[in-house]
Amino acid sequence: MEDNTVLKIKNISVCFDGFYALTDVNANVKRNSIHFFIGPNGAGKTTLLDIICAKTKPTKGMVTFYPEGREKIRLMGMPEYKIVTEGIGRKFQVPSVFVNLTVEDNMILSLKGHKGILDTIFKKTSKEEMKWIYQVLERVGLKEHAGLRAGALAHGEKQWLEIGMQLVQRPEIIMLDEPAAGMGKPETFKTGEILKEIKKECTIIVIEHDMDFVKQAADTVTVLHEGKVLMEGSIDEVLADKTVQSVYLGRGGE
Amino acid sequence: MKKLKNQGSNICFLVIVILLALAPILAGAGIIKSTSMVLFLGKCIAFAIVAIGLDLIWGYTGILSLGHGLYFCLGGYAMAMYLKLQETQGGITDFMQVGGLTELPLIWRPFQNIFVSMLMVFVVPGAAAGIIGYFIFKSRVKGVYFSIISQALTWAAYSMFIALSPYTNGNVGITEIKSLFGSIKGSGNIDNMMKVFYLALLLLVLAYASSKYLVDSKFGKLLIAIRDGENRTYFSGYKVSKFKTFIYVISAVFAGVAGAVFVNFNGSITPSQMTISYSITMVIWVAVGGRGTIIGAIIGAFLINLCEYNLSSGSLVDIWQYIIGAIFCITILFFKGGIVGLVKERISKVDRKTD
Repeated sequence: MEDNTVLKIKNISVCFDGFYALTDVNANVKRNSIHFFIGPNGAGKTTLLDIICAKTKPTKGMVTFYPEGREKIRLMGMPEYKIVTEGIGRKFQVPSVFVNLTVEDNMILSLKGHKGILDTIFKKTSKEEMKWIYQVLERVGLKEHAGLRAGALAHGEKQWLEIGMQLVQRPEIIMLDEPAAGMGKPETFKTGEILKEIKKECTIIVIEHDMDFVKQAADTVTVLHEGKVLMEGSIDEVLADKTVQSVYLGRGGE
Repeated sequence: MKKLKNQGSNICFLVIVILLALAPILAGAGIIKSTSMVLFLGKCIAFAIVAIGLDLIWGYTGILSLGHGLYFCLGGYAMAMYLKLQETQGGITDFMQVGGLTELPLIWRPFQNIFVSMLMVFVVPGAAAGIIGYFIFKSRVKGVYFSIISQALTWAAYSMFIALSPYTNGNVGITEIKSLFGSIKGSGNIDNMMKVFYLALLLLVLAYASSKYLVDSKFGKLLIAIRDGENRTYFSGYKVSKFKTFIYVISAVFAGVAGAVFVNFNGSITPSQMTISYSITMVIWVAVGGRGTIIGAIIGAFLINLCEYNLSSGSLVDIWQYIIGAIFCITILFFKGGIVGLVKERISKVDRKTD
């Protein structure tokens, strides 16, 4: 059980000027699973992601990362670019790709390694790396658009590109903040299928509102409410729970 | 056709270089009457080099520096101090005596040697930018806040250069100096003038080629990435502040070299080249020519200065500042890509029609 944990969130509390955004949050994320954090607005979901990738400092508690075949790493106090190189990628809520570069260039910049100044000036992208890039592009369905400026992509395609940019780094954990936001049903479904495909190689943490999407893809669901963990379990357990229904599901008109 | 489009800026640069290379020859043959025109073109070369440097940080990386006059002057003063000491044979200068100094100050000593001096042209602006950049970018200051700090620092340096008049000759600056190859004024010194001019041209070619190499590499793409999404770049695993400091240093070194070239043609350097308005003028060159394209910076620097040279004499002298201001505003409001942007737009329109 313990061996299977890739990310351990322990007793996390965050206090913004006296307001507790998160209180004593505990969660274990298992390797090669899709772990959803759901909850109404203001439940502290994005704050939790911010803490994992060290954008926000928790007032109390600890986040530990258990990389495969390496010593565990405490993530707090590390600069974000180091966390990325350790193997944790993040996709933002608003699609943020480099709009003035081509899809291919976006991917090249996201490759693992070669992040130093001299490397970027003198080192050419190798054939294997290009091959890998095209494999990932195929997986997220953007192979045909490789030469296109990223800014010219449709909204959904930008989301997929950003997921692809995470994947190409061969991360152990990918964190996705509302990957299906602004997508139509078919696109959302495709996103879910992409996630199920890539979880073979890494662990995925998702924040999402769309319950259909959660049902489609989730292995584990943690429900947050007013900064606390309401419950954690499989999607069926969560849906059956009375408290969850009253605080969250009832409101969405589900 | 496509190949031609990709090579467009290189061809354009080649044309500019050839035209420039012809200028002293024409002057030598007496076709261009005044050598002052050639000297002016030499200064334009210096302006083009600093414009390239500004374009690297502003056009590509999105860091708007309104204080590049500082680095221009640091390079310029380093060159001027060496040239002045050539004049005095390494001895103390007039203004130092006036300022009450009896022997050459320590800070001037290294400039007795040509190699050290030339090194200083690169090292002083580079080191200054490195220190400033390190602290500013590490604390993630950006946008207008960076611009304001860059202005303030330049202003501080300006005041300091004026206050330290026994060492810098204050307001007057370092004057009455010859070029690296001796006097270049008058028709008798045309050989010297040619040497200086072609050396400057070579430096421009080097500046163009090296920055072209930089922006075409993955590094250049990363600069654009930083400009368009700094946060995303951090989360792609890059230490953005390090990259910003690096390109800022490169840009400052370009400015320093430009200042050194400028001194050779101008025969003097004064703190007025360090003022904020002078620094902003440099930004205008880049904006009008087309930021985000190296060739645009060069075109802008030449065009604006040639206009100024021809128009700011006579009746237009009073309103020249207004004209340049208006051009800047119009460019920023309506033609964000500057001249090069306009041309590119036209080409792609023609391209689409022929397709």
